[in-house]
Order: sequence, then C-alpha cells, then structure tokens
Amino acid sequence: MKVIASVALCLLACVGALAADQCYQDVSLDCGQASNTLALPRCNAIYGEYGRHGNVAKELQAYANLHLERSYEYLLSAAYFNNYQMNRAGFSKLFKKLSDDAWEKTIDLIKHVTMRGDVMNFAQRSIQKPVEKKNYTVELHELESLAKALDTQKELAERAFYIHREATRNSEHLHDPEVAQYLEEEFVEDQGKRIRDLAGHTSDLKQFITNNGQDLSLALYLFDEYLQKVV
Amino acid sequence: MKAILFAVVALLAVCAPAFATQCHVNPVNIPKEWVTMHRSCRDSMRHQIQEEVAASLQYLAMGAHFSKDTVNRPGFAKLFFDAASEEREHAMKLIEYLLMRGELTSDVTSLITIRPPERNNWANGVEALEHAVKMESSVTKSIRAVISACESAKDFNDYHLVDYLAGEFLDEQYKGQRDLAGKASTLKKMLERHPALGEFIFDKKLLGIDV
Ligand SMILES: [Fe+2]
Repeated sequence: MKVIASVALCLLACVGALAADQCYQDVSLDCGQASNTLALPRCNAIYGEYGRHGNVAKELQAYANLHLERSYEYLLSAAYFNNYQMNRAGFSKLFKKLSDDAWEKTIDLIKHVTMRGDVMNFAQRSIQKPVEKKNYTVELHELESLAKALDTQKELAERAFYIHREATRNSEHLHDPEVAQYLEEEFVEDQGKRIRDLAGHTSDLKQFITNNGQDLSLALYLFDEYLQKVV
Repeated sequence: MKAILFAVVALLAVCAPAFATQCHVNPVNIPKEWVTMHRSCRDSMRHQIQEEVAASLQYLAMGAHFSKDTVNRPGFAKLFFDAASEEREHAMKLIEYLLMRGELTSDVTSLITIRPPERNNWANGVEALEHAVKMESSVTKSIRAVISACESAKDFNDYHLVDYLAGEFLDEQYKGQRDLAGKASTLKKMLERHPALGEFIFDKKLLGIDV
C-alpha cells in the first residue's frame, strides 16, 4: 500500500502539475500512518513557479544582499562627511538617509524571500554584473560622492527592472505578478524620485563649478546648509 | 629617451592643476593637538565597530530563519530583526564617538567589511536565544578589551572614552544579556512539559499577543 502511495506521490511530483490539493493529499496520506510525526512536505508557502523556474528567487536574495552592502557603504560615506575636516553635515545627512533606507529594504526583502517559502542565502550574488568594486572608496569629495551615489542608486533601480522583467516577460516558464507588484510598490517609485533628486544635486554643483570655480568654496558651504534642511 | 618621457610627464603633472577644472575645495590645516586618541585604543575601537556589524548580520540571519514558512515564529523573527537594527545603531554610535574625537579623517573605507553570517540554522527558539546570549557575552568581553586598551595606552588614560563605554555600552550589554537569559529560562521551563505549544505561546507573547 505504502509503495503504491509513494509511486503515486512521485508521479504527481514528477508531472509538476500545479495541483491545488497537494498539501491535502500529504495530510490524507500521513495522518493514517502509524507514526507520531507528520512530514507534509508539500504543506508550504511555495506556489506558482517561484524557485522552480527562472532566477527570480535567487535574484531576490541577491537584491537583499546588495541593499545590505550598499547600506553599510552609505553609512561610511555619512561618517566620512562628518569628520572634522570635511565637516559637511548636510552631505552626511544625505548619506545617512540612503543608508537607513537601504537597511530597511534589506530586512523587508529578507521577509519577502521567506514569505514566498524560500530560504535566505546571505552569500547569494546576482548574475548581473556588479558595479566595479576594485577601487571602491568612500573618501571622496562632494561632487564625486554624489556621482557615486547616483550610480549606485541607478544600479539598485535597474536591478529592480531586471528582476521585474525576469518575473514577467523574460522567462518562458515563470510569470510571477506577486514579485512584480512588490517591486513596483516598494522600490520602483521611490527609486525614481531618489535618482532625480541626486541628479538635480549634481546639476546644481556642476553650475557652481563651471563658473570658473570662483564661487566654489562658498557654494559648497551653502549647498551643504541647504542639504541639512531638505534631506 | 625614457628620461625625457619621464620629464615630460612630470612637467605635465606640475602644470596640470593650472588648467584643470577644480571640483573641490583644497584641504586646510588646523591644529591637531586636540586629537589625542592613542593608536591601540583607536584600533580596538575600529575592531569593535566591525564586531557590532558582524553581530547585526548574525541577527539578520536569525530573523530570516524564524521567518521561514516551515518555522513560522514571527515573534522570534521580530525580536532578532530588531536586534539586528540595534547592533547597527551600536556601530553608528561608536563611529559618532570617533568622529567627535577627531578621528576618521582617513581609512574610513576599511572600517567595515560585510561577510555572510556564520550560522543560518537553529533547531528551535531556545537554541537561538542561547546562541544570542553567548554572542552578547562575547561582545561584552570585547568591549571590556577596548576599555582596557583605552585606559592603559602609554601615558594616556582615555578617561572619557572609558567612561562612555562603561556607562553606555556595558550598561546596555548587561541589561540586554539579562533580558535574553530571562527569556531563554522562561521558554526552557515551558518546554519541559509542552515543547510544541510552549514555543508557540512564547512566540506570540514576543509579538505582544496574549493567547
Ligand atoms: Fe552591540
């Protein structure tokens, strides 16, 4: 009897049908057995093709890890601008905000990975090419650091586009509106605004500098005061 | 030939600033007598910051574990995710302190390295709480090591930092350890007769729900 049952089970699993009553079948099978624990392997949060086809599941973990790394990098930039020589409280505040936001998103992404019945892997990396890290440094002056922030924020935003694409159009076997909707609601909109803000800041600084750099030292001072108020 | 080339490059390097666009203000020098932290003390502070970051990552992994569908302990997950954010704040507080003392004008990039947490699985809630108690004990030990490095630097007892670490950090460590140890004891007692139900109820209690 048990053999027949397990053959039937395997058949079901091998077909990979999106049967809606798999957990119920596990329960029916296991509850009649002379054992004091239940296995119920198919009573889990996995549905659709999440984790079975395509790379969305892995990319979502990698996305959490990317946010984690960026969060601590931004934190170091915030620290650098707050040393007594740089002494730019506004720039420091800007980076602290980026760091806080990235940290919050890290935890949110981890929760989302587990919400979909998956296990978070902190070593998971994206198959997307990462931004060059070899000469990475936080010890940059004002305009350079804004440029870096703009680039890394674009990387985060484009990564969201990429995962969205993988969850929808790009993959033959995977269509996952839940992931697409999550990215749209929690990431895409804010990222657009943040990128626009950073691009705006670099435009302002650019204008201060192109005027022969005459106004630069006062401009940077005032711009920092401005950042303290608006960030 | 090589020498000529070198001379040209050197000349260019000297002249370059004259027509290059300058995008930043030149650094200035101000007196440094007020920057008094000693090297061994500074190094142990830097090490401590990395410790706090590592603890934050380990707590993230605990949060992730207890969030799994097959584990389903949202109360424990919340406890550990909150702990992760607290460890990050500890790192920030230590950084703030260094900045206040005139440190971190250089070597900032190397302050923090992100490594995946060592452990990703716990058999149950008690095991995780006990792990957390051990982790906090080792953090406490390393804060004590910082204190001792900072009070015994050659001819310089860093009274203020020592006071800060003892007053703020050790205080929080001892209270935090007591809290975790209390939780572990309560849970372990509940488990003695009712293993499954005990952890379920304790988890909801952590969420603030009275079952
Ligand atoms: Fe801590």
